[in-house]
Amino acid sequence: MGRILKVDLTAGTLKSELISEDIAKKYLGGKGYAVYILYNYLKEYESKGISPSDINPLGPENVLIFATGPGTGVPGFPCSGRYHVMALRSPLTGSIGSANSGGEWGPFLKFSGYDMIVVEGASEDPVYLSIVNGVAELRSAGDLWGKNVFDTCRILSRRVGGKNTSVACIGPAGENLVRMACIVNDEHRAAGRTGLGAVMGSKKLKAIVVSGDEKVPVANPDEFREVSRRCLETMRKNRVTGEGLPTYGTSILINVINTAGGLPYKNWQTGVNPYADKISGETLAETYLTGRRACWGCTIGCGRVTSVPSGPFQIIGTEGPEYESIWALGGSTGVKDLDAIVKANHYCDEFGMDPISLGSTIAAAMELYERGYIPKEDLQGLDLRFGNSAALVEAVWRTAYRVGFGKYLALGSKKLCEIYGHPELSMSVKGLEMPAYDPRAMKGIGLEYATANRGGCHVTGYTVSAEILGIPEKIDPLTPDGKAKWAKLFQDFTCVVNSTVNCLFSTFALGVKDYADLLSAVTGWSLSDGEILRIGERIYNLERVIINRLGFNGKDDTLPRRLLEEPMPEGPAKGHVVELDKMKEEYYKLRGWVNGVPTADKLKELEIEL
Amino acid sequence: MSNVSVKVLLFATFRKKYGSKELTIECDGTLKGLIESASRILGGEFYSDVYNSERGMVRDDLIFTVNGRNIKDLKGDIELKDGDVVAIFPPLAGGINSSKLIEV
Repeated sequence: MGRILKVDLTAGTLKSELISEDIAKKYLGGKGYAVYILYNYLKEYESKGISPSDINPLGPENVLIFATGPGTGVPGFPCSGRYHVMALRSPLTGSIGSANSGGEWGPFLKFSGYDMIVVEGASEDPVYLSIVNGVAELRSAGDLWGKNVFDTCRILSRRVGGKNTSVACIGPAGENLVRMACIVNDEHRAAGRTGLGAVMGSKKLKAIVVSGDEKVPVANPDEFREVSRRCLETMRKNRVTGEGLPTYGTSILINVINTAGGLPYKNWQTGVNPYADKISGETLAETYLTGRRACWGCTIGCGRVTSVPSGPFQIIGTEGPEYESIWALGGSTGVKDLDAIVKANHYCDEFGMDPISLGSTIAAAMELYERGYIPKEDLQGLDLRFGNSAALVEAVWRTAYRVGFGKYLALGSKKLCEIYGHPELSMSVKGLEMPAYDPRAMKGIGLEYATANRGGCHVTGYTVSAEILGIPEKIDPLTPDGKAKWAKLFQDFTCVVNSTVNCLFSTFALGVKDYADLLSAVTGWSLSDGEILRIGERIYNLERVIINRLGFNGKDDTLPRRLLEEPMPEGPAKGHVVELDKMKEEYYKLRGWVNGVPTADKLKELEIEL
Repeated sequence: MSNVSVKVLLFATFRKKYGSKELTIECDGTLKGLIESASRILGGEFYSDVYNSERGMVRDDLIFTVNGRNIKDLKGDIELKDGDVVAIFPPLAGGINSSKLIEV
């Protein structure tokens, strides 16, 4: 079994512990194991009289976990270049913090000698963590504090040198405790959502650099070789993983989702964007795309390498944008200049911010301003009207440095809209801004947004796959019927993916049986499809227990009023709202929950010991 | 049946292959008729790219929508009307595939 590095930043100490096989058999690794650890911290705090809701997300008592799983870094394990990050509390939402990233850092953490890092406490002065060939050290980051992501990655990579070296860090946004700050690794890959960059910033932890060449063991190499060959062949032949994503990246979805009438435009006032094609994957391929990039061990290569050679939004050599960042920075804000979106996305990487939350917060501010709810003088010169490309790009760096109106944007849309007296204009759930699918046009994702433990999230259970793409089968997006079972199934399976840790995109081609076979061969355990999904369900429920303790329950499993009460004004979903109550009732029944809380029977059935 | 005028939108690799994003097609109001008429303009390969002659229906590995609604979600025979908008995405955007993701 592997090792966990426990870091106490207050005391400045490091401790190595072995991964428990018993816990790994129940929670796998990655997200699952991290959820188990976080729950035990919660119990420990409660035993010391610290109430969960008193845990300050930006205080030393918050816990930050970087986790890999049994699949990460195993050559031949499909798309295994990923890692998962969790925090007990998100500074953006107050609920659990959770995010996932690609690149090389995840496998390289394993090669450096550790599977997981658990960080508690806070340092007085800026530090970075170095793990090289099994040796872990905390070092001063005084010379790095204030530097952007790109400089930090390059300086530390050069300083450490060696083989398989990777850096995960925060930029100025994390240092400035911007609520949607993220953790960026390999310069352009991010553990984006729920403000985990601000958690790292609050701990004065600037970066973690890993390096090494430790081999990752496989229990049954012959069996694994056969299963791996089969799975990689399946992925190669699949039109999405073998052709669509490599050619267009995720931005192919812009026109797909817009055609379905579900691409939110101007802060979700409608789901039809008249300029969608101008900011589509097709247009990106014709204009600014210069190449593609793959994460470690990935055969898909959906990463976009781009360049805007001239003009006011010139940016030479960057990566992205992806579907979500194009939508949040473009579609939701009404900006139709793709070059401005590329630049704004570049700044998000440079300063370390989640483009989904940032773009949605800017869009909310635009609607507030256009409706007359924000006085002009508050904007301090920033003309935040829908479609203003220059204002978009300016707003990004102002937010990162909390300058002028940026100090309001830095709080996220929920707080921003509350401050200006119109909380209903924050298009968020549990404080996390929703991504690029209007659930009035695809009802299942509405149930998913409402019930995802970390807040308004699509990848927790991507029902869009069935509703719009027809994978694994086509279901009608405009009916609420039958959506509960899909939401639950996708959520449980995604927990498995995030605990393995590999890339969710492999599931456009691979199924539960493939994961059962791959994990059985790697671990040496005999895992069936049913057991795999049970592990996923267990993880989802324990995570739900944590958010219940943090104060979230059925009343928070909801959607913004716009989606529940304002009929879609146009397009194929015209007239539709989200019939959430109906879907939720069925979902809770399937989950074995009452008012968003798992019952004692359900926890017993899943062998979750509280 | 009298002719109707339908707008056809092409996406992703179909644009490059057929050199077109959008075209207006006169047809008999059936999906087969539309695809036949379009292939007379775009070339014969368009027909086999989009229609499954053996099964007598639009290929099920595409995303094929009429006024934004995927035809797999529509019941009964589809009758196109004047001014309808058909959007066609090649298989790489989704559509059916052999993934047995989750047995439900």
